[in-house]
Amino acid sequence: MEEEEDQQKLPDLVKELVQRLLSQNLPPNSPPLNPNSPEFINSLRYAHRILSSRLTPSVAPDAAAIADSIKRRLAAHARSSEALSFADLFSKFAHKAQSVNNKWAVIYLLKIISEDRHHSHHQPPPLLPNLAFSQPATHHHKPWTNGALLISKDPDNRRDVAFRDFVAFVREENEVSEEALVRDVLYACQGVDGKFVKFESESKRYAVPDSVRVPRATRSIVHSLCELGVLFRNVSGYISQSMDRFPAEDVGTVGQAFCSALQDELSEYYKLLAVLEAQSSNPIPLVSESATSGNYLSLRRLAVWLAEPMVKMRLMADLVEKCRVLRGGAMAGAIHLHAQHGDPLVHEFMRRLLQRVCSSLFEMVRRWVLEGELEDIFAEFFIVGQPVKAESLWREGYRLHDAMLPLFISPSLAQRILRTGKSINFLRVCCEDRGWADAATEVVDDKGAASRRGGFGYGETDTLEFLVDEAAKRIDKHLLDVIFKRYKFKEHCLAIKRYLLLGQGDFVQYLMDIVGPELSEPANTISSFKLSGLLETAIRASNAQYDDPDILDRLRVKMMPHESGDRGWDVFSLEYDARVPLDTVFTESVMARYLRIFNFLWKLRRVEHALTGTWKTMKPNCITSNSFTRLQHAVKMQLVSTLRRCQVLWVEINHFISNLQYYIMFEVLEVSWSNFVSEMEVAEDLDDLLAAHEKYLHSIVEKSLLGELSQSLSKSLFVIFDLILRFRSRADRLYEGIHELQARMTESSSSSRDQNKSRTRKQLTDKSAEQGSWIADGRKALTQRAGEFLRNMGQDLDAIAKEYSSLQEEFISQLPVQQHVDLKFLFFRLDFNEFYRRLCPSM
Amino acid sequence: MDPEAARTARESLDLAFHMSNILDTGLDRHTLSVLIALCDLGVNPEALAAVVKELRKEKTSLSSSLPAASSLP
Repeated sequence: MEEEEDQQKLPDLVKELVQRLLSQNLPPNSPPLNPNSPEFINSLRYAHRILSSRLTPSVAPDAAAIADSIKRRLAAHARSSEALSFADLFSKFAHKAQSVNNKWAVIYLLKIISEDRHHSHHQPPPLLPNLAFSQPATHHHKPWTNGALLISKDPDNRRDVAFRDFVAFVREENEVSEEALVRDVLYACQGVDGKFVKFESESKRYAVPDSVRVPRATRSIVHSLCELGVLFRNVSGYISQSMDRFPAEDVGTVGQAFCSALQDELSEYYKLLAVLEAQSSNPIPLVSESATSGNYLSLRRLAVWLAEPMVKMRLMADLVEKCRVLRGGAMAGAIHLHAQHGDPLVHEFMRRLLQRVCSSLFEMVRRWVLEGELEDIFAEFFIVGQPVKAESLWREGYRLHDAMLPLFISPSLAQRILRTGKSINFLRVCCEDRGWADAATEVVDDKGAASRRGGFGYGETDTLEFLVDEAAKRIDKHLLDVIFKRYKFKEHCLAIKRYLLLGQGDFVQYLMDIVGPELSEPANTISSFKLSGLLETAIRASNAQYDDPDILDRLRVKMMPHESGDRGWDVFSLEYDARVPLDTVFTESVMARYLRIFNFLWKLRRVEHALTGTWKTMKPNCITSNSFTRLQHAVKMQLVSTLRRCQVLWVEINHFISNLQYYIMFEVLEVSWSNFVSEMEVAEDLDDLLAAHEKYLHSIVEKSLLGELSQSLSKSLFVIFDLILRFRSRADRLYEGIHELQARMTESSSSSRDQNKSRTRKQLTDKSAEQGSWIADGRKALTQRAGEFLRNMGQDLDAIAKEYSSLQEEFISQLPVQQHVDLKFLFFRLDFNEFYRRLCPSM
Repeated sequence: MDPEAARTARESLDLAFHMSNILDTGLDRHTLSVLIALCDLGVNPEALAAVVKELRKEKTSLSSSLPAASSLP
């Protein structure tokens, strides 16, 4: 019923409206309108036609938006007070007017009517300047959109017709209105297919399909704007993919940070798109038969708005492509490469992004440097640790993983970082020290604000460097303190030098004296217990007993694995037991090298000891001539010459050996030691110490002819040693024989004189009866035997002498060719008066 | 209509009339009330505005034709 009433009311109302309007139009003094006049009926019919032609409005019913646009228009026309009052009225209207159901329609109506009026006032376009009442108004619409509404005085309406034709033509080409395209483009920018713009998966782009009739220019604009959509799809695809992989722990913290930073940027992007969408649905509509409405947002305006997001999105898509397969520090490094860009917009954007991405990396660095903790679940940090035994913790426990090292951290800085954390771990594990925590907190206090979490990040590499340097300084100092004071590194080195490198002369002498006879036995008959006992005795007998008992504890006898035929001399060695943490310095290989040097020095000492032994037998020169007066002159001569030859040979050998010994002791060992000590003083961290020690050992090995370059030399040296030992035994025999002879001589000479004495001596000689059968012989036989003996000895000695001189010559001739400069000093000593050079001009 | 509803209706009309004055639409009260009633009935406001515009245009034609008419005695 009501509807019928409404239906009935409608035409009545319309009629009344028409009447009102028309009567308004009439000039004041004219007669009232006749409702039945043909003009009236025409108008009525026309009105009905218009009303029925447009049944749906083209705008969404949003009263507030319309009111907003009205206000803006008022404000734009500098009528801001009216704008305020309008706003006031509108708010009252919206709240109070219950009788009006369709408020937005009313407002819309008012708006359109007022606009029309204003446009009918400010009508003329620049194309028709010859209109009388034309005022060149500033209006922002394309002229031809108003083409159909011109109030022109053009009599045959030619321009009007032309415009109408043009409008019709454009409308024909544009199947789709621009605002629909704009809306579709905005959808595409969020990765959603619009009504006309669809995603083509083969060519991976958004485009208007060819079926839709759209002019080429529009098509290409749409295409370029939709590139944004494609990039957006890539980026958001990557983000969602990574989020899916989170539980699988495939994506590390850096990847997560990257995704979240991207998402932040995307939310900014969404905000922009939302604003643009609000703008696009806020048309300035014209009730006209034009093809495109004068939307605020046209495709070109959209292009301008989307230029900046396009740049950013392109960047993000690039990054996403690069980082698809990277993780951790490598990802940060790749992003950093992209940040080297001149454009300030790009630079700023990348900086923001990188700060977020690298925050977890920097946190890891901070923890590592200050606490020695590696919290790296996803294996993204550039330091990797592996579980090793305590003694190799320093050398192999941690290392740099270059692939994960981002480029803005230089390799030297990375080394420092590694070393600092390693020191903390070393202190904690090997030295069982808690003091490093104080050092770390000192650093934190010093740095204050900068060391708090997230306080330094990307772009503040120098802050990081500073922090690392401070931490490194303190921790290193602490470590060295611990090593030197608590573990007495220097004392141990000195002890090794004194014992293993035979620095403690008196101890070595005693040891050699005591252990010597033992070692002449075959190796498998020697027991190490006995030797240890002898070692103890030697220690107690020498100055070594005043040493620190802890040090003496570590000194032990070691029997090397032997084969049959080896004498004890070949397998005997001393060893020093360095425990944690010092075995970081004194590793197995280092101790093996010490052992080699010890062997060499021990051999040398043995030879020297042998020579001094020979000297001891030679020295008491009680071989005076009066004992041999009864000998034949020839034999005497022979005796004297043999003796002399022996002595000469001894002197030569002694010269060689003592110079060699002097060279080894002073020019090699002591010099290297003092270098090492001075380097120890200036060492700043454990790496420096290790390097210094290496150098020390290396120089000793090289200079004492044990290195690889001098292998031939050392071989000939060992041959010489053997020869010297042989000489010693010969010389011993010679002197033994001579003493025997002497004894015979004196005995037989005094036998006739002193029968009584001889009885006692007979007892003595009885003992020596087992040795030789000289007693029974007479003097002549004695002489003959002596002569024979001496001749044999002489020949032996000659042979030895010849061999020796040839060997020595070979050795000395090889010396100048050596590369090590110190061996020249040895050569100089051995040949200081150029005796050998003159002897063998080949040198 | 009860007085209450009449009062609100009058107030609404007043408000609308003020707004239309600010916007300088040239509509008088009565025409405005008719238009509001038509809007309430669900007519497209764009169409109504078109009617208003067209009929006002007629004014010029009518007024231009009127002097001709008035010239006739």
